[in-house]
Amino acid sequence: MMVVVALMTGLGLYFAQRNVAANVERSLQQDFQGQLSALDKLQELRHAALAERCRAFASKPRIHAALEDNALDLLYPSAKDELRDLMEGEKPAPEQSAQSLHARFYRFLDQAGAVLPPSKPAEVGELDEQTEGALALRELPQTQQIGYVWENSNRSDSAIDEIIAIPIFSSDTGEVISALVVGFKPFEVTGKRTGVEMRSGIWVNGQLHVPSFSAAAEAALSPELNNAIANSDRARNNFIVRVNATPELLFYKRLNPGSLFPPAYEICIYPLADSISRQHRLRWQIGGAGVLLLLGGFFASHLTAIRLSAPVEKLAMDSEMNRAHRRRAEAALVSTSEELKRSTRYSADASHQLKTPVTVLRAGLEGLLTREDFKPEVYEELSALLHQTHRLTGVIEDLLLLSRMDAGHLRIDAKPVNLSHLVDQWLDDLGALSDGRDIKIEREIPSELYVAGEERYTSLIVQNVLENAHKYNRPRGWIRARARQENEQVVLTISNSGPPIPRSAKEHIFERFHRDSTRSAISGHGLGLNLARELARLHGGDLRLVQSENDSTEFEVRFRASRASPNRGSMS
Amino acid sequence: MVKTFRPATLVNWRAMRLQRLVWLTALFVLLPDSVFAQAVAEGRVELQKSHAAPVIAKRYEIVTTGGVLATQPPLAVVYLDGSFPKPGSPPTKQIAQKNLAFLPPLLPVQVGTKVEFPNLDDTYHNIFSYSPAKRFDLGRYRPEERPIPSEVFDKPGLVTLRCEIHEHMRGLILVLDTPYFALTDADGRFRLSGLPSGRYTLKAWIDSKTTREQRVELKSGATLHVDFP
Repeated sequence: MMVVVALMTGLGLYFAQRNVAANVERSLQQDFQGQLSALDKLQELRHAALAERCRAFASKPRIHAALEDNALDLLYPSAKDELRDLMEGEKPAPEQSAQSLHARFYRFLDQAGAVLPPSKPAEVGELDEQTEGALALRELPQTQQIGYVWENSNRSDSAIDEIIAIPIFSSDTGEVISALVVGFKPFEVTGKRTGVEMRSGIWVNGQLHVPSFSAAAEAALSPELNNAIANSDRARNNFIVRVNATPELLFYKRLNPGSLFPPAYEICIYPLADSISRQHRLRWQIGGAGVLLLLGGFFASHLTAIRLSAPVEKLAMDSEMNRAHRRRAEAALVSTSEELKRSTRYSADASHQLKTPVTVLRAGLEGLLTREDFKPEVYEELSALLHQTHRLTGVIEDLLLLSRMDAGHLRIDAKPVNLSHLVDQWLDDLGALSDGRDIKIEREIPSELYVAGEERYTSLIVQNVLENAHKYNRPRGWIRARARQENEQVVLTISNSGPPIPRSAKEHIFERFHRDSTRSAISGHGLGLNLARELARLHGGDLRLVQSENDSTEFEVRFRASRASPNRGSMS
Repeated sequence: MVKTFRPATLVNWRAMRLQRLVWLTALFVLLPDSVFAQAVAEGRVELQKSHAAPVIAKRYEIVTTGGVLATQPPLAVVYLDGSFPKPGSPPTKQIAQKNLAFLPPLLPVQVGTKVEFPNLDDTYHNIFSYSPAKRFDLGRYRPEERPIPSEVFDKPGLVTLRCEIHEHMRGLILVLDTPYFALTDADGRFRLSGLPSGRYTLKAWIDSKTTREQRVELKSGATLHVDFP
């Protein structure tokens, strides 16, 4: 469990860390992009300001006059006056030179786009031949052009200049007759705002120039950058480089898209060391927090487990006790069963032992009754005693039968029994009883209903139920016997009038030796229904009380229907 | 530009006296010839149709169309080309700056003519020219500038006047070798009188790129009709 938890926590931490790392990266990129776009805006403004300034100078009438009135020799001298502000003005402090609009040099282009050589180079900013050549354009531009050139690239004090070419339109013809190309110190990015030293440089013509970089570092960076720029189809991109063995994020962006001048790229280099160390720190923090969390969780879960296990242990103890109870109960059951067996045996023995004296008793009484020298009261007494012995015999036989059943010794030799016939016989007998109660007997018994069973016991069942119906009847009451076949069963319903069985007694009527206390006046030994039910069940059927309300009590006996043919049954 | 007062009144007065003497002498020398041998040339220069609305105030200005400078509405300068003795002292002419425009916008002058550029506006003007025929720069000056800034045009050719402050301003001075020249009217008609007899070339300057010419033989006392189609 703990392993799973640890695994899940580890996974969670891993993804959290990755997420955080991605966020850091994204925020870094956003920061960077934000800075760059701010820079773009700044550059744009700067270019606009520079261009506006240059355009104002280029529209000076003297310059136009020099160009339009065929006075090229007066061009630079005129420009010297006009562009004095641009070139001379206030010399900015070196650290602010990049932010100022102070021009380093200017040149005019002729109709073909070539540089018009100045008469006094010192006045217009001296340039080596190569740099001056780089100011030329294939043709005169219709719009302002931004470019970057290496100034004195073969010297140690080489620098990159930002150049703006402003077309000069003839006031006579409206056509471009010249262009003013002004060189400025390029705008430099400083990372002062972020607190991280972001360096910027310019890439032009396959050469990288980052002011704060050594020539070696520039040279090391150049091939990768050249490759990236050559293969880049986007205007802006970034990748990670290693400068002096520390990782840096490098962004590059085209400075002069669509310019007639060679493409130049702004290069921004952002040291990643700080960000990486921050990420490392964050990773450790997350990891540490995770471990602490895990440990805390472990202890918490342990405590919880102890709390939780208390009832479980109690449960185990209880169950142990339960088991002991069960064992005791089982032992009790075994002893009960043995007792039961013993009692069954006893009952059987007792029955046998009783049978003989009762038979002797009955024989003696019958013998006495045959004598004629007694008083009439004695005969009555004797016949009552004889009746009691008959009753005793019935009880003993019932008990014997029951004990045989209890012992499992009773075997049913099932044969088709004509139930209709059986019921008719018993009903006839009941009808013949003259006890003065005048009980009406109704029967709805289809003829030739055969059940599977032993005739003796089937008869006993029917007898017991019918006797019960008669016994608990009322004067001028009725007994109704109905039988029908239901699929594989034959259902015999015996109902009788008379006071209903009390609710409390209903559950006990099938118990052995049960006799309704309210009806104790009625003769019986309380074995009849029990015996009938046991026998019915033994025959694969059942006996149950259907209902006993008001003036009606109904029992239902189910027998297995016999599959034997009626012919055969009738023959038996 | 601030011009300082030059204490040279005496010198000027002497020069003027000398000038008058020269003029009188010339009159005497030339009079018989000018009275008896004078020729007249007149005619019409076919001017370009003006696309502008009819000018009521007869204000002309220099316009550039495709790099061609001309007056608008069009005017032409007709002059007799040739080598003529220079006048001792050519007259002084004026081109004023009024309402930020040169007035007149086109001025034909004989070589050696001094042209004054009075400023009639209530603002600074800075008239200059980089034209090969005359480069000058009068600097900035206000209307009250005295003496009136001027230049002597001593080389034939077309001089484009500009104002360093008002870049749209253009003026033209056509510096001619000849004393015989005239501006046409708006219909292109011209009349040159007092011409010497002989074979000459009569030219019509129409714009900075177009000058027409015709060979003429002038006879004293006769009026020659010349049209420039």
